[in-house]
Amino acid sequence: MPIIVNLDVMMAKRKISSGELAEKIGITPSNLSILKTGKAKAIRFSTLEAICKTLECQPGDILEYRPDEGE
Amino acid sequence: MWSEEKSISLTKFCIMLFMVLLAVVAVTAPWLTEWFVSVSRAGQEEHRVYFMATIYVGFVPAAYLLYSLFKLLRRIESGQVFTDENVELLRRISWSCFAGAVVALVSMLYYNPWVFVAIAAAFMGLIVRVVRNVVAQAVELKKEADYIV
Repeated sequence: MPIIVNLDVMMAKRKISSGELAEKIGITPSNLSILKTGKAKAIRFSTLEAICKTLECQPGDILEYRPDEGE
Repeated sequence: MWSEEKSISLTKFCIMLFMVLLAVVAVTAPWLTEWFVSVSRAGQEEHRVYFMATIYVGFVPAAYLLYSLFKLLRRIESGQVFTDENVELLRRISWSCFAGAVVALVSMLYYNPWVFVAIAAAFMGLIVRVVRNVVAQAVELKKEADYIV
């Protein structure tokens, strides 16, 4: 998928662990793992809002569009 | 108070009852056939063997259907509802119905009233097929929903 989730980078910048972030944004650690590994098919605005609020960033800092090699 | 667990238990009990009934029919097939031929006014004395053959051949899809149904119910009981395995079980149940319909259809060659069994079995198979398609769609939706964070 050409949408890349850069949550790892932002988490490292803010020095926050997966467990802590999951707790703060109110999702399960397994769901956060789905998001981090790029397996997620969609992200709710409410989740995105909670992530941005917790990590003090913009949606663009977390999501990135990168065209496929063939395109 | 009536609950979902009790409903499933009741269904499981009914399936087991049918399993016992099926086993009894299979074991007593020679006597059942003899009795039927003696009370029937259609003059079926020479078709005793055919009747028994229908019962024994029909036993296979019926037993497989009941086994699959029981397995499906156990999976539902354990909370595994919208899964690929359940879709597969529903597909097997549907094909068991169709197999039973074919057995009854072939049996029409010596006894026409088997047509009613054939129609009923085929109709059931069709209904289960539709349910299977619905569950298959539900499984896809669930998979999608599982990956929405």
